[in-house]
Amino acid sequence: MNKATLPIVARLRSLQAAIRFAAGGARVIAEADDRNPLAQLLRAANETMLGRSLQFDSAGGPSLTLDVSGRRVLRVTAAPGLAGAESCLGAEVLEDEHKDDLIKLMQAVATPRYELRVTSGPIGRGGEEVSVGLPVALLADLVLIDLNDLAADDSAEEEEAVPAPAPERPSAAAPGAGLAGLAEAIGLGLQAWLIVGGPDDDRSNGAEEMVSHLQGFLDDEREAVDRQLDLLSPEPGAPVCVMLGATLIEGHSILVARLGGGLLLGIVEGECTGAALAAWRDVLT
Amino acid sequence: MSESLGAVAKAFPQARLVAFADLSSRMILSSAGSLATTQEHLDRLCDQARASFDDPLFSLSVEAFGEPQGAVVMGADAVRVFLRSDTEPADALCCICDHGIDLAAFVAKIRDTLESITHAG
Repeated sequence: MNKATLPIVARLRSLQAAIRFAAGGARVIAEADDRNPLAQLLRAANETMLGRSLQFDSAGGPSLTLDVSGRRVLRVTAAPGLAGAESCLGAEVLEDEHKDDLIKLMQAVATPRYELRVTSGPIGRGGEEVSVGLPVALLADLVLIDLNDLAADDSAEEEEAVPAPAPERPSAAAPGAGLAGLAEAIGLGLQAWLIVGGPDDDRSNGAEEMVSHLQGFLDDEREAVDRQLDLLSPEPGAPVCVMLGATLIEGHSILVARLGGGLLLGIVEGECTGAALAAWRDVLT
Repeated sequence: MSESLGAVAKAFPQARLVAFADLSSRMILSSAGSLATTQEHLDRLCDQARASFDDPLFSLSVEAFGEPQGAVVMGADAVRVFLRSDTEPADALCCICDHGIDLAAFVAKIRDTLESITHAG
């Protein structure tokens, strides 16, 4: 397929997709079993050309309202139930310095296992000027989401069509949902990470200096880390994910995960326990 | 102490076991929650808490951000949370939770509980 046609085909497919409306005119964009509700949130924003206010409501409670225009997020106008929204709420127009905070808000409202709804309304303030704000495509790049990923949609549909196999050992995770999938699902909070062994061997992300440091540590201590994880597992070599931090809910933490013969080691910044746990559950199912 | 642990278990029903341990003597001193446990289970939980704060990950943590006081161990069927006191590192809470727990809120709660127990003792 011609690469230039991908956004068009993706849009056509989304128009063909079954839509479920909820009370109040909200549209359900991610069901509770959706593997990546954040992608659905970003796609909804990316499909918004004319200035609109998009209110995203999670069945888990939190809500995030964005002014969106021209595939750009102009501002955050409400964020009930979401911590850390002050800087974005205080910005007349979102700028580059807000992108990390905005992504955290999006991740917090688009959490797996909760239905996500969107309600569209008139934009709160001027949206005619569309050269400002944060491009949705930039936000998607930062969380490693391809807005036009047709292959992901195909695989999801195939999974729905095929009866679920009998539960196997947790390490038999679906392709793509292994340690690299875990890292991607945790998102920006995982500042730097590296995988050694297993199907995702040698994959990494983050500042080169930090990744290099993690690599050096594992070069020396891989076996010792495995022995330590064995003490925390029901049996040697079993899947396990550990976060170790000064407080776990602020500052930095270390994340180490073992799955399918591979080992992921990363540095986490800020409160990431919920995202890590949700991502871990996903790779185990 | 029992009341404090019971209050945590009541506030977070997904916390199936909340136990106070003395890591230096490898003993669980008190516990609350719906999970039926044997002494072997409690001993193993205490050993896992000690292992969490051991090398090599302990050294990496110290190098990266300082001495770790909290650990979350995510397994296939449960999450274990270990928290050491800032002032008395041998004092720790060892918890077994369901995967659906709000970890951030839970960690904040048990942090306060642990410090109140430590200071009361």
